[in-house]
Parts: sequence; C-alpha cells; structure tokens
Amino acid sequence: MAGTQLLKSRIRSVKSTRQITKAMQLVAASKMRRAQEATKASAPYTEAARELLAGLATRTSVKSHPLFAQRPVKSRLMIVIASDKGLAGAYNSNITKIYVAELKADDKAGIKNKTITVGRKASQLAARLKDTEVIGAYEELPDQPDGNELRAILDSAKSRFMAGEVDAVDVIYTDFISSITQEAKVMRVLPAGFDDTLQPTPSNDVTYEPGTTEVLDGVTYRLVGAQLFQALLDARASEHSMRMIAMKNASDNASDLIDDLTLEMNKARQSAITQELAEISGGVEALSE
Amino acid sequence: MHLQLITLTGIAIDQEIYEISAPTAAGPISVFPGHEPLVSVAIPGALAVRYKKGDPDDAREFFAISGGVIEVNQTAVRVLVDEADHGDDIIEAESQAALDRALKLKTEAKNQVDIDHAKELIDRHTVRLQVAGLRRHKRS
Repeated sequence: MAGTQLLKSRIRSVKSTRQITKAMQLVAASKMRRAQEATKASAPYTEAARELLAGLATRTSVKSHPLFAQRPVKSRLMIVIASDKGLAGAYNSNITKIYVAELKADDKAGIKNKTITVGRKASQLAARLKDTEVIGAYEELPDQPDGNELRAILDSAKSRFMAGEVDAVDVIYTDFISSITQEAKVMRVLPAGFDDTLQPTPSNDVTYEPGTTEVLDGVTYRLVGAQLFQALLDARASEHSMRMIAMKNASDNASDLIDDLTLEMNKARQSAITQELAEISGGVEALSE
Repeated sequence: MHLQLITLTGIAIDQEIYEISAPTAAGPISVFPGHEPLVSVAIPGALAVRYKKGDPDDAREFFAISGGVIEVNQTAVRVLVDEADHGDDIIEAESQAALDRALKLKTEAKNQVDIDHAKELIDRHTVRLQVAGLRRHKRS
C-alpha cells in the first residue's frame, strides 16, 4: 500500500503545480492582448515624425544633424531589453545569446562597450559580464510603458552619442511578429537612419519656428524615441506571449503526468486488492481441508 | 480646422476644432482656421483646445503635454507629443504629492539614472499642476 500513498501525494503536488501554471497562462494571455494592442498604437506617431522629417529635408540638410552623424564605431552603447521575471520560455535566453555574441564580436574588433539594461534579468546578466560597462539599469517598468520611462533611457543614450562618448547605439529586443512568432534581434537607433524615399508635399511657404535647426532637433528626437518606444512595446508583447505559450506547455505536461501517475496508481491499487483476495481465498481453502 | 493630437500611446484627439493654444519654444501661440503654414517646437506645458467658435473660455479643454512638434497648415493642425494628459484626469493633490516625492528623489539620487529619472518626474508633474490650476480656475 505504501506505493499508492506515494503516488497519491505526487499526483496532488503535480495538480497544484498545474493550477499555478494555468493561472499564469491566463494572466499572460490577457496581458498579451493588451500589449499587442499597444504595439500598434505608436504607428501614427512614427508616421507623422517621418513625414515631418521628409518636409524638413527639402529645406535643410537633414543628414548634417548630430544625431545622423556616421562615425567609425570605436565604442558603442547597447540597450538590452529583457524581462523582470522568469518562466517565459526562451525569452530571456534568446536575448542573452544575442547579447553575448555581440559582446564577443565587439571584443574581437576592439570596440569598447557600454550597456543600459531594461528588466531585472538583463541587469543580473550584465552585472556578471566583464566585457561591458553598465551605465544604467531600469527595472520594474510598468506593463504599459509611457513617455516617462522612454525619455529617461533615450536622454542618456542621446547625450552620450552627441558627446561622442559612443559612436553607435543599438537596441537588443524581441520583435513581436505575431502571437506565435517572436524574434530576438539587434536594431540600430543611433546614428538615426533617414528614409529618402518618402516624397514630401511641396510647400515652400512653411515657416519653421524658432528655426529649422530646432525643429529638426525636435523631430529627430521624436523619431528615434518612437523607434525605441516601439522596441519596448514589442518586447513587452513578446514576453507575455512567450510566457503564455511556456505556461500552456507546462500545464499540458502536468496534465499528461497526472494521467500517467493516475494509471500507475490504479494499477498498484488493483494488484494490492488481487493480492489480498488471493490471500483470503488461500486461507479459506486451508481452513476447509 | 482639423486637429490631430498624436501621442506615443495613440491618437488622443482627431476632430474639428476652432482654436488651439500651445506653448512653443518661440513663445505661446494660438492657432485659428486659416493660419499660415507653420512648424514649431512645442515645449512642456498646457495645451488648450476650443472646439467651437463662440465657446467661452470655460468650455476649453486642457491637456498637459510633454515636448513635441506642432505642424499647422490652412486646414489642419497636427500636434506630435510624447504624452498628453487630459486636464480632467489630473488630480491636483496627487500631482503635488508626486512632485514633492520627485524633488526628494532628486536630492537623494545617487547615480545618473536616478537624477535623470527625478528630473523627468519633476518636469512632468510641474506641467500637470499647471494644467490642474487652469482647470480649477475654469470651475471657480
């Protein structure tokens, strides 16, 4: 009978694990839906900033702006976006893989490296690595990041780039392609890229106040900000959807395990009963002789 | 004149209006229909929107905006800002408390990240308080 007791307690423990993973799956699913909506929300902002920039390009040399300055890369800043919590499948390890590979490449090329981390998992990782200098760590970002968090990160990246302290700024994040496909990747945000293909509406009589330089400053900042913000939103949506899938798999595994254990327990109980019956009938037989 | 107030989190306003007042780097401006084409840099402050001609000052709606860009042409205004909080959503006491917290945070900050963060918060809540003040004025 000891066997069945043991199995019973194992089934109980797996069941309670399943309860937790199931709850986490539901929470992640509802958060993912909201985060997924949010990834689309900043599109008009980016679009408007692009159009403004195209308009500006007809009046002034956009590429001479310091944020567009292409310099030979001697040192670069990486903004690594991971999650605060684990149990999100391969979410954090995918980011880690890319980050470590980039660091190695920089090391080989003799490029100095600085890092800003977003999320506790990223800061824990970066703190252990020797190849990089961590200049900022942001943790516990709200589920719906707003301009406030963004500006803090953006401003420190921008001021370092403008000062010539770093020659490039890259973001390592997880791109949210769909709720089943997410891809960890590196995106360059500074020097800013400019898409010449966008045709501006010709308007020569537009007044720029206080001047084209200031407006260009404002627009470029917004455009770079929008890119970074999109990366934050995508990373958020990816995290939730990967956590949802991971927890769904865990729940399914727990269910399978419970089925197997239940079968085994029933078998053990049946064989115990058969054993007992055999003993009883054996005893009766012995008495009647 | 058509107004589009675009923020990072989506489009806050997308409708016909009569007048918009906004703080810019070259001083506060008010835009009415038929304004000459203009692109200007918006600074953090209070944005006021009058929906219909003849609406009294009390009927204006206020938004606390962060920095951005304002684009004006004859028939439309496009305001591109990181954030725009509707005046009705701002609770004065809360903003005041948040501002005090931010000021305290700045004096206690140990590293650049904390200082940057505190500065952000101070700017933000100062603007919010300003907008809340305008709203109180509107009610009284």
